[in-house]
Amino acid sequence: MRISIQHLTKIFPSRSRGGKAVHAVEDMNIEIPSGELVGLLGPSGCGKSTTLFMLSGLESPTSGKILFDDQDVTTLAAEKRGVGLVFQNYALYPHMTVEQNIRFPLDNMRIKKEEGNARALDAARLVQIEDLMTRKPNELSGGQQQRVAIARALVKMPNVLLLDEPLSNLDARLRLQTREEIKRIQRTTGITTVFVTHDQEEAMSICDTMVVMKLGIVQQIGAPQHIYDDPNNLFVANFLGTPPINIFKGRIEGGKVYIGDEVVSESPFGQGAPCTAFDDREIYIGIRPEGFIYDENGCLTLKVDHIEVMGRDKSVVSVHESSTKPTVRCIIDSDVLLPDAENLKFRIKPNKMVFFDGVTEERLREPLNVFKGTVEGGKVMIGQEAVAETSLEDREVFVGIGSDSFVWSEEGAFTLKTDSYESDGKTATVRASHEASVTGTVRCTLQGKLPQETEELKFAVKAGSVLLFDTTTKERLA
Amino acid sequence: MTENDKDIIETEPQPEAPKKKHNRFVQYFINLGARIKGWFVDKFLTVKDFFSGLFRKKPKDEFAYDGPQLSKGEKFRRGLKAQSGWLFVAPALILMAVFTFYPIVAAFVNSFKQGYSSTTGAFNGWGFDNFVRVLKGDTGTGGANFVQCLVNTLILTFISVPLSTLLALLISVGLNSIKRVQKAYQTILFLPYLTNALAMGAVFATFFKIIGTKSYTETVGMVNIVLGWFGIDPVDWVGATSPHWQIGSLSIPWAKYIVATIYEVWSGLPFKILILFSAMQSINKQYYDAAKVDGASRWTVLWKITAPMIMPQISYLLVTGIMGGMKQYSAIVGLFGETMGQAYDMGTMVGYLYNYIELGQMGYAFAGSLMLFVIIMIITFINNKVTKKRTTYR
Repeated sequence: MRISIQHLTKIFPSRSRGGKAVHAVEDMNIEIPSGELVGLLGPSGCGKSTTLFMLSGLESPTSGKILFDDQDVTTLAAEKRGVGLVFQNYALYPHMTVEQNIRFPLDNMRIKKEEGNARALDAARLVQIEDLMTRKPNELSGGQQQRVAIARALVKMPNVLLLDEPLSNLDARLRLQTREEIKRIQRTTGITTVFVTHDQEEAMSICDTMVVMKLGIVQQIGAPQHIYDDPNNLFVANFLGTPPINIFKGRIEGGKVYIGDEVVSESPFGQGAPCTAFDDREIYIGIRPEGFIYDENGCLTLKVDHIEVMGRDKSVVSVHESSTKPTVRCIIDSDVLLPDAENLKFRIKPNKMVFFDGVTEERLREPLNVFKGTVEGGKVMIGQEAVAETSLEDREVFVGIGSDSFVWSEEGAFTLKTDSYESDGKTATVRASHEASVTGTVRCTLQGKLPQETEELKFAVKAGSVLLFDTTTKERLA
Repeated sequence: MTENDKDIIETEPQPEAPKKKHNRFVQYFINLGARIKGWFVDKFLTVKDFFSGLFRKKPKDEFAYDGPQLSKGEKFRRGLKAQSGWLFVAPALILMAVFTFYPIVAAFVNSFKQGYSSTTGAFNGWGFDNFVRVLKGDTGTGGANFVQCLVNTLILTFISVPLSTLLALLISVGLNSIKRVQKAYQTILFLPYLTNALAMGAVFATFFKIIGTKSYTETVGMVNIVLGWFGIDPVDWVGATSPHWQIGSLSIPWAKYIVATIYEVWSGLPFKILILFSAMQSINKQYYDAAKVDGASRWTVLWKITAPMIMPQISYLLVTGIMGGMKQYSAIVGLFGETMGQAYDMGTMVGYLYNYIELGQMGYAFAGSLMLFVIIMIITFINNKVTKKRTTYR
């Protein structure tokens, strides 16, 4: 079942008079395709459990809508939504046996005894607890209780399975095992599943899509690897990854990125053409621990504190005066030989380094691709190619197109010459050139249907995403 | 018997002398002793061996502490210190021995004294006479009838206690589900608990009492007036002409039962609500959330989740309620006067005991109290057996 969350908001009124109302969830918009495993991730108090309870119908939203397929369930009672919910502490009834617990939803649906027994047994088999049917919950281990709770949620064949911190009560080893189990059950049943966790490792390991939240506001939605590699802001970058990302204070001068006096990048985007758009700006530089490469001629000097050997790899724990954290951690291969020196120099992998604005903490994104263009008869033309329609009169304009506004299409109106092409199967980054480009290299990030790498690619431009600017004042044209 | 006869018996040993005839009571204990001895013999033990075995020194432990030993004085002082706990419980123990243990033992012993006089302590032999007379109602004093009192007590207890527990459960559920003015309701519901039982009984009686003579009736009482609105004729609920069924010598004053039951239920509610309500509030809210998601109706939630979850408290209330019910007295006196209705037709077990203490027939009072004790024991035992199965899931 497809789930669509639209402008969902939940405000808890303040307990005391004159106190501040708590905005648990604010203006949340998520589309969850059918059969996906989605993780709501965030620190405690970020509204992820509230969102889950709103999906289940136990909490009612202050405003906004929840759609299951195309049915509006926002005001529908919990029992009519057909959701299975697994609670953090499992909420198994202690006075009932495992079988009675699993059968409980079926008994409420007035299902005949034989059929109910068969279905309960099926659910138990799915989670591999069919031998424990006569036990009471307090005679089970934490992991077994967890399975019973999942079986109870699955037995009524729900449209949506909701899991609230399903692994938080388990020990480390069991957690690893159970999260694979959850993934397996979800694959077998194909039920759209939403689960809540504060453990980023847990979320990254089993989610198809991850939603990172902070203080009730969605920070980023995407595939785990995508969010890890391409965080939207400092919070997301900091929250994902163990050991966490190293954050340095730095600045941009002349299109180059400095930490202290050392240039760590020639461009504020890690790679590609130099860009001076962010000059003279204080920034945060995030470097993943695995992004360091030991190199005598490297660009960053770190003062080594000690080295931790893990077997598979080793961590260089060092200090740097620009670092916002007490230590800087670099993970390098265990077979790299390090000299016994006080200071070590490192090269940095460009794709493991991200930059954030020093004030807003937002990610520095490549600016718009700007082209010289004209408006002719209600059409926006770049060269001889019409990319969009407008109500403006004929004139000269600058045309701004975001890198994510390109859609690859055989019949596309816009042709670019490919300079470089990178793809991970889900997304692709194309660097291309165009005669009319004002900003040099044209950068396109593509999702969904991906083209083969060819010399020339044709694109359509997403409707409504073309921005027009005056050529002299550089002001936005309505 | 003359002096000579005595000499003959003493001087002539009779190895096959016929066993002395004891009365039934003494014989019973002699037989009991023989059976206990038989038990030891079966186990190839003499009684002496058995007890000496209990106090035999433990065999030496070869891993025991074998270091430097304490001096004898120090050992004594430390031993004394370790036992000093007894000193702290001594006041309570002594008081209990005097006022609880001794009376229990004395009641047990004295109940077997036939024709016991509490003033002189004289009695004319041991036996079950007291019990027999008490059970037959043949006390020859015109006092209360034991069987009548027992039946009254059992009926009142086994109707009012489950009924008030059930009502308390339903009220607690209702109280638990309201959010506003919950505290105020709680306070109102608890008020009867703070009121004196005699006073409440007297007030209650006026609700039901018909005041006036045969020719002139002042009032038929509040309850009868209300019943009159529905076309029901006035009933003499608590008075001398109160209706009853006669079963043999047993009288079933049903109208009085209704009054007493309503009173018992009402006065028993506050404490039960207090216990059940606080138990309900300690149930994890997630159980209810889970039930809601699983589509359980309110009825299902009450009987499948709430009630089983607070089963320990319910069983506590049933056990203590039944024990208390078996010992009820003041409420009945408050409702029906000192004679507990017409000549103890509403008498309770405790009322029975007081009656015979007042009449100076301590023997019957002892016998009655002993039987009450045994009955309460049996009921409690059954109660525990029944509820244990349902309360041991934690």
